[in-house]
Amino acid sequence: MNLVRQWIRSFPDVQKAAIMEAVESASLAKTRRALRLLEELDPEQRGPGLDVEILSTYNLEPLLPVLQLAMSCLPSQARPRLAPLDNIEAHMAQPARSHAQAVFDARMIIWRIEEVLPEALYPFSHGFPERLAARVDQLLERIERVVWLHRRNSPGIPLFLSTMAFPVNFANPVSAAQHCAGPFASVSRVNQKIYEAATSDDGVHVLDLASWAALEGRTHADATVDFLARQPLSAKGQVGFALFIARCLRPLIIPRRKVLALDLDNTLWGGVVGEDGVNGLKLGHEFPGNVHLRIQREVLELRHRGVLLVILSKNNEADARQAFESLPDMILKWDDFAVRKINWNHKHENLRAAAKELGLGPDSFAFLDDADYEREQMRQVIPEVLILNETPDPLQTLRALWETDAFDSFFVSNEDRRRHEDYAMRGARSAEAHQDDLEAFLRSLEMEATIQPIQPSNLERVVTMVGKTNQFNLTTRRHSRAQLQTMLASSGSIALALRLRDKFGDQGIIAVLLAVRAGDAATLVIDSFLVSCRALGRGVEDVLWAAALRRVDRQSVRRLEAEYIPTAKNGIVAGLYDRLGLQRIEHNSSSTRYLLEPVAIVESPSWIALKDETNER
Amino acid sequence: MNDNDPLLRLLLEFFDLPEDTGPENIRQQLLPSWDSLAMVQLITELEGVFSVNFAIDEIDRLRSYDEIRDALDRKGVSFHGPPISAT
Repeated sequence: MNLVRQWIRSFPDVQKAAIMEAVESASLAKTRRALRLLEELDPEQRGPGLDVEILSTYNLEPLLPVLQLAMSCLPSQARPRLAPLDNIEAHMAQPARSHAQAVFDARMIIWRIEEVLPEALYPFSHGFPERLAARVDQLLERIERVVWLHRRNSPGIPLFLSTMAFPVNFANPVSAAQHCAGPFASVSRVNQKIYEAATSDDGVHVLDLASWAALEGRTHADATVDFLARQPLSAKGQVGFALFIARCLRPLIIPRRKVLALDLDNTLWGGVVGEDGVNGLKLGHEFPGNVHLRIQREVLELRHRGVLLVILSKNNEADARQAFESLPDMILKWDDFAVRKINWNHKHENLRAAAKELGLGPDSFAFLDDADYEREQMRQVIPEVLILNETPDPLQTLRALWETDAFDSFFVSNEDRRRHEDYAMRGARSAEAHQDDLEAFLRSLEMEATIQPIQPSNLERVVTMVGKTNQFNLTTRRHSRAQLQTMLASSGSIALALRLRDKFGDQGIIAVLLAVRAGDAATLVIDSFLVSCRALGRGVEDVLWAAALRRVDRQSVRRLEAEYIPTAKNGIVAGLYDRLGLQRIEHNSSSTRYLLEPVAIVESPSWIALKDETNER
Repeated sequence: MNDNDPLLRLLLEFFDLPEDTGPENIRQQLLPSWDSLAMVQLITELEGVFSVNFAIDEIDRLRSYDEIRDALDRKGVSFHGPPISAT
């Protein structure tokens, strides 16, 4: 029923209510009423046309309205029509064009043991095992002939072959299972032939009614109407049968969802990583961690079937990453996700950003999240996104993954299997392209950097910057003018300012680096390194760094020490020294200390012209 | 008026009859749409809605409201809802 609700979610409320009432009651009167109400909708609302020709060995006419309603829910303008009863080959032998209504989108052959292999029901009356085996051989040939006829006379039209369920009403289920040519094995051989037909021919699909009947249980059958009219299904059975057929047809007209976007906390693991810590999360082989483990298995399988995975999580990325790296039972890996949006933005904004990165529309996305608020917001803001689950319960999330048809397809191609890798590569190329674009943009600014020693003429500006710069500031040491003057005067210190000019004019001094001698002459310690916020993202820090290293190198300094002191505002430079190639030597919550030894000069960014006024180039 | 009679409601809906059709007028010989196909569908409908199974000899005697009601009565299906309020 959940599937039907998802299929019809774009219908008006009146039609939705009528359809659900019909499906839940399995009443033919209510089915007809729902069909009448659907007729009132515009053709665009009702979906694409879907003409299906059904050839059957038993009487499907009584359940045609149920079948039509199920197919209409996909949604489609469904037109199922029955070929003459139990007349499969003769009907197929005519070329499609000569049929009364020649054009159809798919053909179905629905057959059952009672008509095509009745000997299997009474094996001992029919020469079991040899003669029964020979009868099975004949049926296998018949299946081949039917496929051949279809290919010859209706090329290009998808053919759905049903498998055959063993009849519910059968007298001898124990001995029937004991021989490889017995009734059960005989039916298995027949069904195996049907699977093989689909394997070897792209245009043949299996309508696995044997599996459907096994899952549905014996209540799908009704012996009374079967004897009366060769229609074997109960009222409930008719609904289940029709919905199953509709689901099998759906990939013909509705594209599958290409992306699964999902939450982390209380979805991939139990608990909230930001609050419970990695050690407090539930994931493993014990309840309830085993539910989340199973969710991960389902999701990983989807990734290998060609569904791209996206994380949409409100978390600190570092916390989330730690969970991926530290939880011993994680099945999904960080790199299984084509896009990761782990931040505090709205999830609908992150989904749109992910869609853009992947080059797909939001209508390619399915979404899983334990939070009612997040699902509701997504539903309202981007209605094209398919919401898979309905409650916060992880078991319901798992059921949603079991029951959804959002990712149904007839085949999983090699291309599908490679899709994740293709997109990962594309993402990397796109990042490179973005880098190329950025560099071109920076060149267009025609920047020129002038490296100056800190001296009386620029000291005022340096004092101001040291006192005010918050973001790009590695140590946030607020030195006074006097303290700065003392440092400048000390032997061996390096004190540089960078003045930037671009095509818009002179930006003034926008970066400062101060380094002083430690106890020995061979070690220099970077005391301050800062860049004005108006010059961020242009690469000026790399220019100043390269200039500083050239000086350090000339002074026979072998060791350069540096420090990052975190504040509430300077997270932007938390990884700067790592990026510049320094080695972390000490780390605690108040400071991270780095070392560069030996000191080697580095290239300055090519997009900034360099002018050095220190006379020490 | 038929809200308290689920069988009458079912038959009116099933054969798409006017609301004021009386039970005495719901008979196979009076309704052209009650053909053999409708008969099969009706049996499935009755079995589904009232959770019953009909015996073979009953099938031939389900050709009017009264006959169906008798058959359901014999299977213990109750039609005694609350009294119809006077208007």
